Formats: sequence, C-alpha cells, structure tokens
Amino acid sequence: MVKDKQKTKISLKKDELFNCSRCGNCLAVCPIYKQELDESVTPRGKLSLLEAVDKGVMDFTNRLSDKIYTCTMCNSCTVECPSGVALKEIFEAARLDLVDSHRYPEILDMLKKRIAEGHNVTFDTNEGRADWVKQIPGAKLEDMIKDSAEVVYFAGCVSSFSPRTFSIPRSIVQLLDQADIDFTLLGDQEWCCGFPLLSSGMEEEAKKLADYNVAKIKEKKAKMLITSCPSCYHTWKHTYARLSTEAVDFEILHISQYLLKILKEGKLSLNPLHMTVTYHDPCDLGRNSDVYEEPREVIQSVPGIQYVELEKNRAQANCCGGGGNLESLDADLAASIALAKAAEIADANVDAVISACQQCERTIGTALKKKKKELKKKIKVWDISELVLKSVQGK
Amino acid sequence: MKEKHIEKLKEIVGQKAVTTEVEDRITYSFDSTRLEYLPDAVVQAKNTQQISEILTFANEENIPVTPRGAATGLSGGCLAVKGGILLNTVHMNKILDINPIDLLIDVEAGVITEEVDKSVSSYGLFYPPDPGSLKSSTIGGNIAENAGGLRGLKYGVTEDYVNGMEVVLPTGEIIELGTRTVKGVTGYNLNSLMVGSEGTLGIVTKATLSLLPKPAARASLLALFDQLTHAAQTVADIVSEGVITSTLEIVDNVTINAIEDYLKIGLDRNIGAMLLIEVDGHQGAVDVEAEIVKKVAAKNKAISCKMATSAKERDALWAARRAALSSLARVKPSTILEDATVPRSKIVQLVEAVNDIAQKYDMPIGTFGHAGDGNLHPTLLTDLRIPEEEEKVEKVIQEIFEVTVKLGGTLSGEHGIGISKAKYLSLEISPEVFDLMKKVKRTFDPNNILNPGKMYFDD
Repeated sequence: MVKDKQKTKISLKKDELFNCSRCGNCLAVCPIYKQELDESVTPRGKLSLLEAVDKGVMDFTNRLSDKIYTCTMCNSCTVECPSGVALKEIFEAARLDLVDSHRYPEILDMLKKRIAEGHNVTFDTNEGRADWVKQIPGAKLEDMIKDSAEVVYFAGCVSSFSPRTFSIPRSIVQLLDQADIDFTLLGDQEWCCGFPLLSSGMEEEAKKLADYNVAKIKEKKAKMLITSCPSCYHTWKHTYARLSTEAVDFEILHISQYLLKILKEGKLSLNPLHMTVTYHDPCDLGRNSDVYEEPREVIQSVPGIQYVELEKNRAQANCCGGGGNLESLDADLAASIALAKAAEIADANVDAVISACQQCERTIGTALKKKKKELKKKIKVWDISELVLKSVQGK
Repeated sequence: MKEKHIEKLKEIVGQKAVTTEVEDRITYSFDSTRLEYLPDAVVQAKNTQQISEILTFANEENIPVTPRGAATGLSGGCLAVKGGILLNTVHMNKILDINPIDLLIDVEAGVITEEVDKSVSSYGLFYPPDPGSLKSSTIGGNIAENAGGLRGLKYGVTEDYVNGMEVVLPTGEIIELGTRTVKGVTGYNLNSLMVGSEGTLGIVTKATLSLLPKPAARASLLALFDQLTHAAQTVADIVSEGVITSTLEIVDNVTINAIEDYLKIGLDRNIGAMLLIEVDGHQGAVDVEAEIVKKVAAKNKAISCKMATSAKERDALWAARRAALSSLARVKPSTILEDATVPRSKIVQLVEAVNDIAQKYDMPIGTFGHAGDGNLHPTLLTDLRIPEEEEKVEKVIQEIFEVTVKLGGTLSGEHGIGISKAKYLSLEISPEVFDLMKKVKRTFDPNNILNPGKMYFDD
C-alpha cells in the first residue's frame, strides 16, 4: 500500500516539548518506569524522542511508536511535573501524528474495524449489548428501554460485554429501580463512546460515534446521561463538546456523582455494612476528570463502614495498569502494574477495595487473585454501585 | 564501537540488556542539565559481577563507560560525553540489611533515596540527606555527586552518611572501602575520596549508610521581611544565638513573585525575602529554640514570624518553598539552576551581586535556597531556543561564579562539576591542586575509560 503522507514533524503541542527540564520527577510516579526501570519509556524519555523528531534528528519509526504507546495514559506525570508540561495532551497529540504517518500498533486497526462494524470494542455483535439484564431475576429488557426518559444510563462496552463486570450495570439498574428513577437504557442502540479510538490517536473515527450517540440521547429527550465507566464519562463530559456536531445540552454525571445526588435526595435508604474499605481512584475519573470527593462521600455515607485511604490517593493515586490500551499491547506489563497496585491495597489491610470503574475492578481483581497466597485475608473488589446495592439490600 | 564489542557486552549481560538502537540511545543521552550526548550502546547491569566484567573488557578495549543512576543530576555527571557505553545501574535496587543497633543500612546502588528513608522509618530512624530529587534519584548517584539537600546545616550531606561501599574500579577489580564502625582510621580514607568523585574513579555498587534516630518533635516557622538584608541578618543571628536549625531556607523577591503568579496564595509581592525555618529535637529543646528564632526575627524587623501549630499549617507554610522551583520553571521555557555557595556571612553580598548581574544582562534570576549553609540556587530564566541566549547565560554564570569565589565561596555546593561547570574550575582550584586531582584520576583509571570528559581531567 502506498502511504499517502509520511509525517516527519510533530504537528501539535510542539512548543510544549521544550518546557520539559528533564528533571526526572516524573520517574517517581510513572507506573511504566516503576516496572521497567527503562528511560526509553519514561514520560521525559518519550518527550526527548518527540523533540528529536521535531528537530529533524530522526523520523517517526515503529520502535519510537512502540515506546509512545507504552503508556497507560494515567496522567500521573502531568500532576508531578514542576514545569507544568501537559504530558498526556502531548502524548495524545503524538498518537494522532503517529496514526497520520501510519506508525502505530497493528492491533489498533483491528480495534478500529471492530468498532466500525460492531459498534463496540469486542468481537461480539452489538445485539448482545444488554444481555446482562437477563441476569437480574424478574427483569425484562423491554421495561428498561423506553422511548423517552429523564435519565439515560450509558453502560459502556466493557460492562456490557465482559461477564466479569456485569455486576456493575446490574447493580445500577437495580438501584435506579429502587429509587424510582425514570430511566432508560439504549440497549443495542448504544455505540462505543469513542474513547479507545481517541486514546489511540484515531479522532476522525471517534467523531462519527459522538454524533451518533448524542443524537440517540436527544431522541430520548433525556435531561441527564449517567455512565459507570470513567472513560465514557470523561469522553462525554470533556471531549464530546469538541467532537460532536450537535450541542451536548444535557447533564452528564458519573454514577458516583449520581448516587450521591439521589442519596442526598433521600431516594435510597442504606443499611449498615460492618467492614473496613478503601477507595481506588480511577485515572479517568480522578486525575483526568477531577472527580475525587463524590465517591468518597458515597462510601462514607454507608453506616458501619470504616474508611481508610490508600497511601497514594486522589491526584497521586497509582494507576491499576488498565488504561491507554496498554493491556492489548503489552499484557505482561499491564499485569505487573496491577500487581503493584494490589500490593498497595493489601498494605491498607482492608476487607474490600471500592472502585468506580469496570476496568479497574477487573485488573485489580485479577491481580489480587494472583496474590491470594500472600494475603492475610481475602480482599473483595467492588464497584461503588455494588457497595451501595449491598447496603440498600442489607446484605 | 565495533560489532564485536556489542557482542561481548551481550555475552556479559544478555541480549536484552544491550541496545544500540537510536530510539533508546536518545533517551539515555540527557540529564537534568538538558545537555545531550549520545552513547553508542546502552547496557542495563544487573549485578556487581557484570559491571566488573564490563569494566575489565572496556579497559582492555579502550571504550568509554559512563555510569548512570536516575539521571536527575544538574552538572552532566552521567552524560556519555565521549560516547561508548552508557551503564545503567538502577536495576540493582535491593535493600540488603537494616541494623537498628549499629544504625546502618546496606543497599545496592540503584535504591531510590526516598526508599532508604522509608524503609527505616518503622525502626524510629531516618536517613537525613534529602536532595530535591529524592523521589527519583538513586543512592549511587547521590554518592557520586555527594548530594546535599535542605537539612545540610544541621545534618550535613551524603558524605556524612556513607560508612562504606563496594566499588568496581575502572580496571575491573571489585573492592570494599570504609568500615561498619563509627570510628576508623585504617589507611587513607578512600571511602571519602570516592564520595563526590562523580563516577570518575569507580562505580559504586553497594553502600553502607549510617542512620539517625528520628527527632521526637519539630517546629516550622515562616518569617517575612521587607528587606533581604534583614532576612540574611536573621540567618546569621540565629546561628550566633547557638541554634542550629534543621532547615533555614531563604526565598527572594523575584521567586516570591513567581510563586504568587503560579499559586495565587496571597503573598505580598513587595516582600524582600522570606525565611522558612525548622527546628527539631526533643520537645523542650524545640520550644526553646523556636522562641529564640522568633526573638531574633523580631529584632531584625520581621514583618511577621508565624509558627505552624498543626501538620496542616506546616504543610501550608512549606507550600510556598516547595513551589519555588516549579514557579520559576513556569516563567520561561528554560530554567538553569545553579548552586553557588558562600560562607553564611556573605549571603547578602551574593544575592545582591546576583541581582546586579540579572539587571546588567536583562535576564530574570530568582534566588532561593539553603541560607543556613550558604548554599543558594540562583535560577536563570530564559529560552535557550533563542540563539543569543546561550551566550548570555554563559556570561551570567561566569560572573556569578567570579563573585562567589571572591566572597570565599565555592562553585558548587551540591550539584557537582561534571561538564557544566568544568570550564570554571580554575576560578577556584589552583593549577597544583588540579594537577594532583588529575594524578589521582590516572592512578585509578590509567586508560581514562571511566566517565571521561568530566572536570576536564583528560583535555
């Protein structure tokens, strides 16, 4: 195939490249560096490569591309950077350039194809998107898909197709029912939000999805959209305004924010749960969307709960390894980052770790299982919606 | 380097631990000076034996070897100025032993500075050296550069805590230096010679570090002054009153304005200087010393002198000082951090001279740093992409160093000479001393293969 254009220069954010002083503060927080101890994949190392391209020292190469994509996009580096370099934005821009110059991991083409054909990130067709509803005793899908409703629950691809995380959407619709909320699902009419494409550098493809999804919400005449996936939330809340042709004129809340709202309105009554729990801040909810306090308030509103913080929390929270498509590019590296996270959780000596992300729940759950023999006691991994449902049901 | 050299390296450390790809070499070409020198090969060493074999081989074949830790250095110490092998030591990162009776910890060279302190905390102990990069930097790098930190006045610097070490000589021999005792006068003190030798005499692979009991209490105070001279006089008076504070930090007006621009915490932009002071020890002593500090500040016309009454307040007091470098770094794209150091009594003269130089060359310079030990950080703010700026920076630095030496000071308090300050060495060191240093270097490294190009010993 003839490559139509080969980029040799950084087109975006190039002015920011020079602001990095190479101080190395980012090394202390980068989950990739902590595992690999290799400068070629550190935040400042990546910037040095992009600067070399910008100066014309070298062109984009596959090896350079691999290094840029070896990143969970957790954004810890930006928080730590004394010079205020917006590293994640630079890496997103670099990925756009790499896609433009046809230097990107082949596996992403498959992702693009799957989303274009099946409208979701899995190999399944979109018809099965709401199959998880069948797991709720007595629930009927047709009751949950209305022509119009106040609230649309956008379940997201992973929770909709990965059986291990079905418990999240299941808990959420049960809670919404319990609170008597006028809500609807989109069922097989829900398409991927576009986040995996955006973080891969494939913005054009993501725009189509934004237009489609925004139109679907408008059809339902909804005042509010809620998501349980932090990446969907981040995309809807912070990227769709730029991507979508139509205005996004409805409210967008993450489930942790929505649960706090309906708890404050007295729409759910909570029973005591006697256990010690901690909270893991998902990168796309915390650092990347600035939602830190609502999940904590929800957890601490459950009577009987002893709440402790992880050593690194809020903006300093350690990534679980599940982001940036790293899992599909380097599964071993992603798994070792998850193990480090699991060790931090084990040190907190808790009965359960609560997260607010299906991806974090999956990676942390797997890592804790691997560490089972070293653990003093079993640590449960629950989504915030699962915790609240257990409290509501009193079990 | 030839193909056979690369093959030999792969034989020693394994295929995956050697790379000659440009994408890797670029990322090992820099440190915090932002200078760049491409090595020919990057090698990830896993143990002392491998380093010994590499040095033996490199010495035979005359290949330059540059050791590297986390590359947070500010003088170019880990840059492969003459190409050759860049030897990464960060994989050797085990804590080997903690002995709370002897107050010693044994670590491999790649252990991160902060990890040393964290690992002994549960024993009620601490490791005092606290360089600004302690969350990333390695003990090996700290020893090579004799890293300092904020607590120098009371607790000294890295060299005061290195009891002993395992070193690989440039000719490949593995030797042990120092003792596990408090005292020790057997032969020349080569252990101390190695500290601060900037990786030119040997590669430190293990270290025995001494520890101290954690102070039971501490108090933090923030004093504001109209005039810099009043702040500096306070520094001098605190010490003459017999109080050795654990930290005594000064922040000048340029830096205060940069901090206010960045954090917007309501600092008065007209303040001449502020001092951040911490005393530690047993509660009784801390109370007495904090009182003395307050009195001295008042005597020297401090606008205010506040003491933190909670951990939260202490963090708030420290927020401004912690943000000093970040704030300055945001003013201009390039930040050049110097560490000119003068006797405590000459701080005012140095800061005033730096301000004059800044005006003369129309280059903003913020100054902050460890006033208690005379170690200041004049920070040049510029944009090195503009061609003329580089020349201007050189002139500014030359003048700062000239005045520093004239005041009885030293070119570098804690960053080292490396390559960034090598050409100024003759301002401070006589030809006789320089020659002696060169002889020491040749004795250790007859073929000049280890970290060549540093301190201009080989030119």
